[in-house]
Amino acid sequence: MTKVFWGSPLWGVLGLATAILVSPSVTAAGSEPLTVGAIEALTGPASRYGIAIRDGLDLALDEVNAGSGGAGGGVLHGRTLAIRYEDSGGQKESAINAARSLIGRERVPVIIGPTLSNEMFAVGPVAVERKVPIIGTSNTANGITDIGPTVFRTSLPEADVIPVTLKTAQSRFGVKRVAVMYGNDDAFTKSGFDVFKANLDSLGFDIATIETFGAKDTDFSAQLTKIKDLGVDAVVVSALVEAASGILLQARQLGLPEKVFFIGGNGFNSPKLGEIAGAAADGTLVGSPWFIDKADPVNQTFVTAFRQRYHKDPDQFAAQAYDTLHILAEAINRAGSVQSEALCQALLQTHHEGVMGLFTFAADRSPGSTAGVVVLVMKDGRFSVLQ
Amino acid sequence: MPWLDDILWTYQTLIHSLGINGLLALSMYVVLAAGQLSLGQAAFMGLGAYTGALLSLHTGLPFALVLAASALAPAVVAAVIGIPTLRLTGVYLAIATIGLGEVLRVVYVNAGITGGALGLNGIPGRTETWMIFLALGLALAGAFAVGQSRIGRAMEAMRSDGIAAAVMGIDRAAGQLAALLVSAMLAGLAGCFSAHSASFIGPNDYAFETAVTILSFAILGGTGSPLGPVVGALVLTALPEVLRPLQDFRLVFNGLIIVLVVLFLPRGVVPWRMPRLGRLPRGMAP
Repeated sequence: MTKVFWGSPLWGVLGLATAILVSPSVTAAGSEPLTVGAIEALTGPASRYGIAIRDGLDLALDEVNAGSGGAGGGVLHGRTLAIRYEDSGGQKESAINAARSLIGRERVPVIIGPTLSNEMFAVGPVAVERKVPIIGTSNTANGITDIGPTVFRTSLPEADVIPVTLKTAQSRFGVKRVAVMYGNDDAFTKSGFDVFKANLDSLGFDIATIETFGAKDTDFSAQLTKIKDLGVDAVVVSALVEAASGILLQARQLGLPEKVFFIGGNGFNSPKLGEIAGAAADGTLVGSPWFIDKADPVNQTFVTAFRQRYHKDPDQFAAQAYDTLHILAEAINRAGSVQSEALCQALLQTHHEGVMGLFTFAADRSPGSTAGVVVLVMKDGRFSVLQ
Repeated sequence: MPWLDDILWTYQTLIHSLGINGLLALSMYVVLAAGQLSLGQAAFMGLGAYTGALLSLHTGLPFALVLAASALAPAVVAAVIGIPTLRLTGVYLAIATIGLGEVLRVVYVNAGITGGALGLNGIPGRTETWMIFLALGLALAGAFAVGQSRIGRAMEAMRSDGIAAAVMGIDRAAGQLAALLVSAMLAGLAGCFSAHSASFIGPNDYAFETAVTILSFAILGGTGSPLGPVVGALVLTALPEVLRPLQDFRLVFNGLIIVLVVLFLPRGVVPWRMPRLGRLPRGMAP
């Protein structure tokens, strides 16, 4: 293909640039490093998730190679583990190209990622076709592991977190009648709403109204005014943090009573909520698979190491990625090889005490336990574990 | 040859994207050649993608019929919106077609059958590489053939000066509507191919940014001949993947190369106009 257009100056520039910058292949002394692939959104709007994930993976990678798991460093009796990152920019075509390149050319035995559920729906079938295990660390949508028998995920889907939040609201605060709001043009918030709706129904809540908005909306006064007159105990919201903050601020401005509190999905689970909404966010409940202040030693070691290395606080995505790499390294050692079936079997036998609590896979290759879920409550602009 | 199979497998999606984006660029060219600016190509592509995906998921129609339906659906919509909006010119038509894209996005988000914001996944991979490039080849040949014909010259007249062309007896409304229909069909076809190649589609895939990307294929490639936009599409599609070894510097070089092209080749990578072949039609002075 390039030959046809070789006369064009563009290809000249391109060829020169490539010739100068293609990195020479690294040859390791002794045993070859074992390279696994990772597809993350390192640029673009989803990069805040992708970069957090890369930070978590890199931290765990160094621990694995330093021999934190006992029995010397690395995997498979002293081979160094390495990660080859490919940037997807959060776009599905780019993610597929990255996956095909990792599998077809780099011959990686396993892929971590991609970042977004939409990307996983596009990339999953490619990995399944070549029987390459692929482990999503941040995909929460329904149906991810239905893509095929080599698709795993270590992120708790909303379907596991939301029931815990709702049950807590029911038993601790006696919530019966709720209004529901959700962003209907975003896959993540729509998926969260579907889970809320199913669980509100099965837990016997009385749903007063269901209101929708767009992800980029900034004015929620019409929906909130309506909700104000319905006399609800709580408002259940599935929104990303930008819209969530706006809803909380406007609710208090419109005079929604203080005792009516908000219950959020995973989108609320961000320190930014307290920063933007301030006192208006007080009392908000949200469920999370992980929390920075969890007191167990594994988590505290992780948080300290992360702060030391990156000079910032880890978030849930970094925590999930950190656990995932340890889980993968253990599975590779247990399998004794990186052969697809053996590795899938070994992954299914995972029994890992990580920062998210005890981690096991269920038969459908999603997380098997919700024991690690904590319900958080907002007070003075900060989340803390509901005691 | 297993190594060749591996290379083809590795770059399959990229090769598909090259052809699909080539078709999209041609669909843009057809509208531009008739002297109109449409930003509805992404919307037409989306209509084709959703039509094709829904037919494949819910019916057992052969792929040829699915493709035909995916080309027809956007053409019908283009006819309905084209008749009133083609009275608009220049930037006003562009704004109206942006509106079409937004309306369709809201429909996809709210209609149950389109899967809402979650989109449709599990679309069977029925697209074969040869189909895309056969379609692209036929479309290119068609564009050249039309360019040599009376219609092509009429279009060129419309593009240079609409009023003068109308005075000369060229039916401007019919010509521009025909161009819009053909362009919608090409975009719908491309959408159907892409849906059956990526196996997942969502409502945000066909928004404003995609429309601008399609327009940039044509601008970067040059709009003097049908070849220009196709080359533009090939370059803009291949560039991010060719630059993948640069890792973190990929986007920097991607942007740099585009800036250099725009600076030094303002009329596009293929700046030449379509050559005139054969005799002029009877009665036309050179």
